[in-house]
Amino acid sequence: MYEVFEHTADVGIRIRAGDLKGLFEEAARGLFAILVANLEAVRPVQETRFRLEGERQDDLLFDWLAELLFVFDTQRLVFATFQVELHPRGLTAVARGEPIDLARHQLNAEVKAITYHGLKLQRDGEGWVAEVIVDL
Amino acid sequence: MTKQGYHGPLEKIDDFCWRIPKQYKAGMKVEGRIFADDRLVEQIRGDQAPEQVANVAFLPGIQIASLAMPDIHWGYGFCIGGVCATDPEEGGVISPGGVGYDINCGVRLVRSNLRREDVEPRLTQLVEALFRRIPAGVGTGGPYLFDNKQLKQILAAGSQYLEAQGLATPGDIEHTEAGGRLPEADPEKVSQRALQRGSDQCGTLGSGNHFLEVQVVDQVCDEEAARVMGLEEGRVCVMIHSGSRGLGYQVCDDALRAYRNLPARYGISLPDRQLACAPLESPEGQDYLGAMRAAANFAWANRQLLMWQARETFAEFFGRSWESLQMGLIYDVAHNIAKIEQHVIEGKPKTVCVHRKGATRAFPPGHPEVPAQFRSIGQPVIIPGDMGRSSWVLVGRPGSMERSFGTTCHGAGRVMSRTAAVQDAKGRRIDRELAAQGIIARARSWKGLAEEQPAAYKDVSLVVEVVHQAGLASKVARLRPLGVVKG
Repeated sequence: MYEVFEHTADVGIRIRAGDLKGLFEEAARGLFAILVANLEAVRPVQETRFRLEGERQDDLLFDWLAELLFVFDTQRLVFATFQVELHPRGLTAVARGEPIDLARHQLNAEVKAITYHGLKLQRDGEGWVAEVIVDL
Repeated sequence: MTKQGYHGPLEKIDDFCWRIPKQYKAGMKVEGRIFADDRLVEQIRGDQAPEQVANVAFLPGIQIASLAMPDIHWGYGFCIGGVCATDPEEGGVISPGGVGYDINCGVRLVRSNLRREDVEPRLTQLVEALFRRIPAGVGTGGPYLFDNKQLKQILAAGSQYLEAQGLATPGDIEHTEAGGRLPEADPEKVSQRALQRGSDQCGTLGSGNHFLEVQVVDQVCDEEAARVMGLEEGRVCVMIHSGSRGLGYQVCDDALRAYRNLPARYGISLPDRQLACAPLESPEGQDYLGAMRAAANFAWANRQLLMWQARETFAEFFGRSWESLQMGLIYDVAHNIAKIEQHVIEGKPKTVCVHRKGATRAFPPGHPEVPAQFRSIGQPVIIPGDMGRSSWVLVGRPGSMERSFGTTCHGAGRVMSRTAAVQDAKGRRIDRELAAQGIIARARSWKGLAEEQPAAYKDVSLVVEVVHQAGLASKVARLRPLGVVKG
């Protein structure tokens, strides 16, 4: 699960999950929930594949969200579902969504960048917790 | 991640300047200095921004002090309102966080010969015409599309490229900081990603606190300076606040990624990862400098095109050319940038890298970089206020060169988070509240207005008063908004 929290000029996403894979998937959902007010209206009809390299998990989380943001910004795609596979040196993922349709999707906030501020990814009891601040 | 205050030392140097002593944190190479008065300093203790001022003092090659302007508030690495100068000859660094994500976010002021009474009877229609014409808001592209080759020319030459296309006049170039073009920009250091983000965004306003406003001069404080600028009470102006859009953000992002593990490699130890930096004379330092200059040029081209679209809208609306409306550019300033400048430091002239993050250059009378027209009065400084309140025009004073590397404040500074502002605005029609004050606002989203409601900001007049009293820049005129266009 993810929740959005308040932070001075911007907004943060706090994610909790049982495993890292789930954490990365929830983080992506959290990002798109900030971008689109009615995420439930996004149809998972088009597939986009991702492959990222990185060894530090927090940096990898950062890069994953930054990549999603880039695709949103330049290809004008919104994603509803995510399947992430983590590997020793990075991740592969499939995101499913569709092109932005202003008639059906309510664009919410313009996320301009993922920031390093307070970037956290750590074990939390039996599961994982992460926090990311995004620049609006 | 809730707001925590600053509990460290703040010693009064004088009525408008406070010190964070070097002894506060081991690793500080110089002291911190914050320009503020007694009233503002209490607010300033409300977030971690002073801690950030102390952190910046760790940067290699930093000269004299880590500074902050009275509109100081928390930012990424450097606070907003943060200023520092580093000397490359002393291993001085360049830090992307000291410029900001929105490279060359800045503001320009356009005059006109229209008076309030010419505009007020049809104000709503004028604002709506601007709203239709000026591209703004989330995920919007604009009508000016540039291919990669043209984009690279914009990155290399900024406003001056547009002059060649007939979209800027020589007067526009002369009245833009740096002539709208930083030489030695390196378009090749701007990533393909950044180019993709920028390709349809040149000439678009953006969202957040970016705006285009129709304003009226409602108070003149310096008759002579106002006259030289072509300002007088009751005159209508247009103010444009915008930056380098997705392109600049991507350049900053790319640099922060490249700098992730760099400081350690150069033996630089930092208290905050977001102060990531590289020596100016290193390949990585030069790469970012070149890319930052290119993004800055893009931002100047952006504001030039926004102004061009505004001029054409006014011309169509009033049925005469913008030239006959005398819509000349007074000046354009950057407030998120790093510049290589000459400053006298401890009696010696030095070439330093001045970082201005949410801070504006304010060169004094006589400075060779001030356009000839203004050399007797000093460089115009444009300070945008918030929607419901005033903006200001100042001129640089000699005090800025003595105390702040030729720098002054940039605006008001947020006091309420976006979420809190939206919460506070629930059930309210901000546009109607503004209309009751005679201000017509049009935004692409209700949220856009709610986040930017006046209560979310400090009062810019208080901030301006401090820089005026501290001798950094002096007040010329106050402008009041009549119409606002936002993303």
